[in-house]
Parts: sequence; C-alpha cells; structure tokens
Amino acid sequence: MKRILLVEDEKPLALLYEEELREEGYDVTAVHDSETALAKLKTEEFDLLVTDIRMPGRNGIDLITQVMGLRKAIPIIINSAYQSYKDDFMTWAADAYVVKSSSLAELKAKIKELLER
Amino acid sequence: MIETYHFLDSDFQQESSRELTLLSIISQSYFQPFSLEDNLVLILTALTSGSGVGFNRAMYLRRDGNRLRGEAWLGPRSPEEARSVWEVLSTPGIGYVEIIEHNRALLRANEDSLTRRIRKLSFTSSDEPDLLPAATARHKEIALVRDAAHEPQVDPRFLETIGVDEFLCLPLLARDEVVGVFVLDNAFTHNPIQPRDVKLAAVCSLLAANYIHTTNLYHRLVESEKMAAMGEVAMFITHQIRNPLVTIGGFTDQLLEEGCEEGKRRRNLSIIRDEVRRLEDIVFKVGHFLKVSLKEPVYADVQPALEAAAREGEAGAQAKGILFQAKLEKDSPLVFCDPSTLGEVARNLIDNAIEATPAGGKVTLHAHRGKDARTFVLSVHDTGKGISAVDREKLFRPFFTTKEKGMGLGLPFIKRVMDTCGGLVEVRSREGQGTHFLLSFPSQEERRPS
Repeated sequence: MKRILLVEDEKPLALLYEEELREEGYDVTAVHDSETALAKLKTEEFDLLVTDIRMPGRNGIDLITQVMGLRKAIPIIINSAYQSYKDDFMTWAADAYVVKSSSLAELKAKIKELLER
Repeated sequence: MIETYHFLDSDFQQESSRELTLLSIISQSYFQPFSLEDNLVLILTALTSGSGVGFNRAMYLRRDGNRLRGEAWLGPRSPEEARSVWEVLSTPGIGYVEIIEHNRALLRANEDSLTRRIRKLSFTSSDEPDLLPAATARHKEIALVRDAAHEPQVDPRFLETIGVDEFLCLPLLARDEVVGVFVLDNAFTHNPIQPRDVKLAAVCSLLAANYIHTTNLYHRLVESEKMAAMGEVAMFITHQIRNPLVTIGGFTDQLLEEGCEEGKRRRNLSIIRDEVRRLEDIVFKVGHFLKVSLKEPVYADVQPALEAAAREGEAGAQAKGILFQAKLEKDSPLVFCDPSTLGEVARNLIDNAIEATPAGGKVTLHAHRGKDARTFVLSVHDTGKGISAVDREKLFRPFFTTKEKGMGLGLPFIKRVMDTCGGLVEVRSREGQGTHFLLSFPSQEERRPS
C-alpha cells in the first residue's frame, strides 16, 4: 500500500483529505504543521508528500526546501487555496500544484499519476 | 550700446512686484493638499488677477493621452459681469484670500456656462491638419494668435467657443511632458496682448505645469497603493473563504454518497455547521470593520475602561502561563477618546501581546501622563516573538495578518481610532525579543470644582 504524508493545518480539511484518500486505497498520515512533517520524513518512508503552503510557523515552501535537502526522491504535490504561489519559483520544485477545491478529483488524479510514474 | 536700469525705476518695480506676487500665489498651491481642483483656482487666479498677469479669462485644457480636454475656465461671463466683478475686486482692502475665494465661487458658478462649454470640447493632437489649441501641445510652443477669424490654423470649433480674435496658447511643460494647455484672452477689455504678458504667463505656466505634474504623479501613486491593498484583500478572502468552502463541499459530497452511516452523517453535519459559522463570523467581522462608525471622541475619565481591560488581560495571561503586570497611573487626566472605544483598543493590544508571547513570558500594560502635560500614553509591552521589519511595514493594513486565525483587522481599527482622536501610534519591536506599542492620546487635566 502506497504511503502518503499529508500536511494541512486546518483540521477539518485534513480529516476530509485523510478519509477521501484512504478510500482510494492509500495509507495516509495527516499532520498539521511543517515541523511534525519534517520529523516524520526523517524517520519514516513515504511515497508521496501533499502539502499546504500558508500555515502557521514554517510554511510549505520552507518544508519543500528542507525536503529537497533530505535528498529523498519523493514526489511533492502542493495543495493550496492560493493560485498566486505558482509565481514563487520555489513552488516549481514540486511535481504538481493543485488549487484547493471541494471536488477532490484533480488532487486524486495527480496523486494517482505521480504514484504510477 | 549699454542699456542701464535703475532699481528705483517705477516700471521696473512694478514688473518685479508683479512677478513676485505671481510666484507667491502659485507657490501657495504647493502648501495645499494635493487637490488639483482647489489649486487650479490659485493658478488661474494668478493668470487673471490685475496684479498677477492680468488676463481677462484663463482656460485650462487637460492632456489625456493624445487628447486635450477642456477642464476649467475662469473669468467673467459677460461684459456686465466683468464690470461688476472688477469693481468689487478693486475695492481697497481686498486681498488675495478674498480674490481666491471669489474666484472659487466664480469657477463653481461657471460650471453652468464657461466651464461647461469647454468641458464639451476635446481635441486630438494627432489630427491633421495641425490646428490650435492641440498644435500647442504637439509642438510645445507658445502661440499668440491675432485675428483668429482669418487664421486657418485655429480649430473652428474652438474659435466658436472662445469667441475672441486674439488669444494666447501656452503649453504646460513638466519634465518635457505636456500636461495641458492654457488659453488666455482679453475678451472684455480687448487690450492687445503684450510681449511682457506672454513672458509672465510663460513663467506662470512653468510653475503650474510642475504642480499639475506632481499632482498627477501623486494621484497615480495613491491609486496604485489602493490597488495593492485591494490585492491583499482579495488574497485574504480567497484563503479565508476557500478553506471552509472546500471543507463544506467535501463533507457534503460524502453525505450524498449512498450508505453513509448515521455516525458519520452526524459528524459531517456538525463539521459543516461549524464551517458555516466560521464563514458567518468572517462576513460579520469584515462588515463590522467596514461599516462601524466610531464614537465621537470626548475628554473622559478612562480609568474604569482601562481597569476592566487589565482584569481581562490578567485572566487571559494567567490561562497561558504568562506574567501580567498593569501599571495604571492613579488620578489620570481626562483623555480625548470614547472610553469604551479606548477599552476595546487596550483589549486588542493586550490580546495581541498575549498571543505573541510564549508561556513564562511577560506582558505589561502601562498608562501614564506623557512628557508634556497634554498627552496620555497607553503602552503595552510583551516579551514575545516580535515583528519582523518587513511585517512592521504592513502592520496597519486591513487584512494583513501573521496569525493562523487572525482577520488582520485589529491594528487597522486601532489606527482608525487614533486618527479620529488625533493621537499617535508607535511600534518598537525586535524579532525574538518582544514588541512595544505606544499610543499617545491628547489629554487635559481635570478641572476640579474649587
């Protein structure tokens, strides 16, 4: 079973993603901040990272920078309420950029595509 | 041959005093707020008043891209009006202030005749053939027209509107950019326009052009700042509203799936209800901030409001394991602020301080007389995380926030309160060391009944 690490500070939203992705047959670990995410990445193996950008404390872009420093070949999907972070070149390091939507179809499709690559 | 001039020469004196008067009238516009409409009166007054350049009428055509549009026209509307106006203005004791006031009224009155007539006019400077007044803007040259009726280079529509045979077109040049054109005439006295009138008007137009240019730049700057603030509002709303919407939409989809069990159904509905409340709260707060009219400031005893805020602060700090200290000067002066508003301001600052401070830190509320007897200082100091220099710049912008759940409306509210009562806000902060907010309010000592 493919393991996904999900970083989302809004708890109800994290719960929604967790349930929906589990339904798709993934093993999902949801955390609410970058620091916890980084600690998990250092100690456990994941097949994919889905992260929000605007979060209290260290933001998602910081997290992506740190993950790159770990030199793990893990695909990254940015899932943000903002379209505008696409202009930040650091977000180009991610494999996909999905703008949050109540339909999770795009997010699910990107996850599937990246995990099958 | 050598020409000699004497300082005591009456002609010379007259000339220089005219120029000085002119300069002083126009330079006044630089001390006024950037309102082109108001200051245009000053400039047009300088061109038309007897001790200024002394033309009968002055017209301002504004440049707008490659068009020249009529904007304002100052002067009497008929020979009768001219006589009565000049009679009033030549009354001894009438100074510039009165003349400017009079002209302001005249310009307003002209809204229905002179100014309205030229507002209908618009000339394209790229039109062929090259006709006045647009040609003035195009060639950046002064043109003195005599016998306009027989001059093919004058736009017939313009000639019909201005209705005189002799007029002067002056380009308004600022940094090599044409900002408009002045058209001056002596429609009522029919005095021929003299070379020295042209020179004086030219000096005047240079100053006016610079002023108009600066004003245009200022307005463009204000506009772009507004756009930037709008952008931030849009960003804020996108984020604040999109998250609850995604949550509501996602959990609703689950409800609509077949075989959704009762426990999950109830949970989803309660999440949806919470998110809807959050959205309502956002809408309420934004509406409150945009609409709320502040109570008029009065000189009031603010001690009870501050004590109440201190009590609330004490409780909030204790809950988070922070030391809270309130130093409220006894027998404080009367402070120029609505007491309940001041209480809200103090609570706002204390809440921010507590939120920024980790357990074990300290928050201090201090209220005391300022250095001079007429100010009262409210200060809130914390030993929290501080504010970065970048964030400090945006601190008072609506919807700017570094908080997870913040709306970014607290400090803009405080700024509004301070503006309303004529007070000042000062922020001192160092990242990692803490923040100090100092608010100074106008105050006065209480007059006790003797």
